[in-house]
Parts: sequence; structure tokens; C-alpha cells
Amino acid sequence: MSRLHDMGGRFGDGPIPVPRNNKNEVINFEPTFKHNWQAKAWAITLAAGALGEWNLDISRHYRECLPPKDYINFSYYEKWLAALTNLLIDKKLISLDELKEYVAAAKKGNLDKFSKQNVMLDDRTWLAEDVQKTLGWGGPSIRDTNVSPIFNIGDKIITQSYSPNENVNGGHTRLPTYAMGRVGKIHSYNKNHVFPDKNAHGLGESPLPLYTVEFKSSELWGISAEHENDSIFLDLWEPYFNPYKD
Amino acid sequence: MSEKKNIIHNHTHSDDHAHSQLPSDPELRVKAVETLLLNKGLIDSRTLDELIDTYENRIGPQNGAKVVAKAWVDEEYKKRLLNDATSAIRELSYQGRQGENMVVVENTPKVHNVVVCTLCSCYPWPVLGLPPTWYKSDEYRSRTVREPRKVLSEFGLSLDPKVQIKVWDSTAELRYLVLPMRPDGTENMDETELAELVTRNSMIGTGLPKEIK
Repeated sequence: MSRLHDMGGRFGDGPIPVPRNNKNEVINFEPTFKHNWQAKAWAITLAAGALGEWNLDISRHYRECLPPKDYINFSYYEKWLAALTNLLIDKKLISLDELKEYVAAAKKGNLDKFSKQNVMLDDRTWLAEDVQKTLGWGGPSIRDTNVSPIFNIGDKIITQSYSPNENVNGGHTRLPTYAMGRVGKIHSYNKNHVFPDKNAHGLGESPLPLYTVEFKSSELWGISAEHENDSIFLDLWEPYFNPYKD
Repeated sequence: MSEKKNIIHNHTHSDDHAHSQLPSDPELRVKAVETLLLNKGLIDSRTLDELIDTYENRIGPQNGAKVVAKAWVDEEYKKRLLNDATSAIRELSYQGRQGENMVVVENTPKVHNVVVCTLCSCYPWPVLGLPPTWYKSDEYRSRTVREPRKVLSEFGLSLDPKVQIKVWDSTAELRYLVLPMRPDGTENMDETELAELVTRNSMIGTGLPKEIK
């Protein structure tokens, strides 16, 4: 079943925290990071990711796998930090004992042991002079494969009723619960992309056709739909749905 | 139907999460992780500085605003942008991480587009920078797909019931940018002046460009 991150359509959340100025106008600018630790948590996540020990889907899944009480209580970058901590330990890049030792030393106010100079960089370490080049290249998920899409634009489809991850219980998927078991229409085909349901578990990239699928709001929300003409579009991989016959 | 396969049990159970054995103070924990990685030579502090400086000072909605302004004055560019957004945006040297596959959706008198990521916080970094807090909030993520009109009204946007709303939930690696409508009375403005009118929220769909006073 679903995890807490899968919150599309959920009831109970209050007003959007829209920032406004003292004239009550919506503010379009805010600092990229409000606190230095947030900037650090974000930057370390990117830099550690560049070591190549995990992929984007794995790091996303680690955030989703935080215990529900933490997922709810943590602020955005606390989630990033907690998931990164778990990843670094699981991949044996640092150990829990080392972290505990640092924390104990910090509480005693004696971090001499941790003050190192002239550290030799690992061969895999992302260098500052490569940052712009690597950001500019990004991490494309499109793969050239000979897999042909079996659906055409305009085809009606019905999404899987349950989490489509066939390999892992509670595994990663990008089919949100709110769009499971619903009828939609193929809006576009977007080439073949790495399949997160496998890639998030180290089961290979298995690139598959990715489509944008249109759902009418009334199909998703029934009588509580706000407006019958409105549509919701989702980007879905081929295994997420089957053909639909009226 | 597929045969029953050997199901792998997810290794991450709530009782063996390493993070929960550490103090919750994020400042201390970041410092701990950062120091250990620095001491092992697995990260370089200059790289962290370069990353933070890039997204604080160089990449942000000012990039997307230039794309929109160009599309407003150059019909051929607009066609390329709607047809192959990634290439058209690359013409202005914006590309890469979290914008590898761009899609531009156009607002018209009949259609208003709005972008969300219900599962996490997918956002087109090369043209908008990192997402604002409200975009990452539970409130925005949960409600935008179900009641987009109410959500937009909280941003001060009330749409004619005859206008169709299209909500784009970024569930894969496609990243969406809204092309807002050019405001009335801007016929004599050049690209640079027009870019000043393009707000961040207008490119997500939760706002409109600034109006001419």
C-alpha cells in the first residue's frame, strides 16, 4: 500500500503557506535557503550522490521510507538529511559509531580529534571545478533502446489498481495512489526512460516507454471534483496501465 | 497477469533506521555528517560552496523569465519552445540537472496550467532554481490535484469557470514550465522589460505576470 509521501488528493491539509508582504501581496522571492544547515544538507546530498554509490531513484526511495512519524514531523531538509544519513551508513561510507562519536565529542566541546588538515581526496570526489559541467549535463533518464511503445496518442487506458512494483513489497513506484484503477487517455509519448520501480532497488535501469496521461477530474474525484472540465496529467511508465475498452 | 515473483522485502524497517539513533538537532547532525565526509576526502568543501553559490546567486526564476519574454516577442522561438522545450531552452544556455527533459505548457484564454509534484518536489531547476517552501508543502502537494481552483484562489488567482484548468503532476523526469499569457498594454516593451514582468509563480501557474500600472 501507499506511504505518506504519496499524498495527492488527501483531505485535511490546511491553507497553502503562501508568503505575503505587509500589503498582503504574494511574495515571489524568498531566499534559496533560510538556514545555513539547510544549504549544507542539500549540497552534501548532491556531493555524496556524485560518488556514484546510489542513483536518484534510490535516494528518493530512502526519503519515502522514513518512518511515518518522522516523515510528518521533519521539515523538508530534515527529511533529506535523515535519508542521506541512512544511505551513507547502508553504503558503508560512514558508520553510525563514527557519527555517535562525533556527537558525543561535540557535546563535550572537544572536537580536536575531528579537526583534520590536508585531507587526501578520494578518486570519486566531486571537484569544485567540475560542478558547472556536471550540473549542465545533469542526469538524463532517457535511454536509446529498441523498445517500441505499444500505446498510441488518444488510446484509453486503465491504471493498475494496486502498487505496480512487482519486485519489492512497499517498493518504489511513481504511480500515485490517487490515480490507481482510473481511466485516462494517452496525451503524449516521451521516449523510453529509466524505470524507477526497478532502478530504486538496484535491479537495473530497464528503460521503458514513458507517457503523459490525461485524467478528467471527475474520473479521479467523482462527485467531489471541483469542475468537470478540469484535467490532471501524470507521467506514467507503460507497466502502470493496461488498455481500456469501453 | 504476471506470475507471482519472488518478492524482495524492503530492507528499511522503521526499527533499524540509523537516523533515529542520532540527536534530532539538524545543525549538529549536518555538521557531523559533513565533518566525517570531509575527513574521509569523500566531499570537498569548495564543491559545497560552489553548489550553494550557484543556486543562491546564478540559477533562479530570472532564467525562466528570459525564456518566457523571448517566447512573447519571437513567434518562431515560441513554436520551438512548445515543440521541443529542452532544445529551445538550451538556446539560452539553460540546461542540465532537474531540467534534462523540459516541457512548456501554454496558458491561453481558455486554458490555465498549474504544476505540482505530489510525490516529492520535482521542479525545473535550470529555469526556476530550487523550489519555494510552499511548493514543497504538504498542503500544496495534497490539494492541488483535487481542488486546484481553491488552491489558486489562495494565491489570489480567481479563474473564470469557463477556463479549463490543467494540472501537471510531475511524476517522472519531465519538468514543466508554464508559459503565461503576455499582459495587455505591453506592445511597446522590449524583451528585457518584459522579462521583468514575469514572476516565478506565473511560471508555475500559481500567479500571473505583473500588470502594467
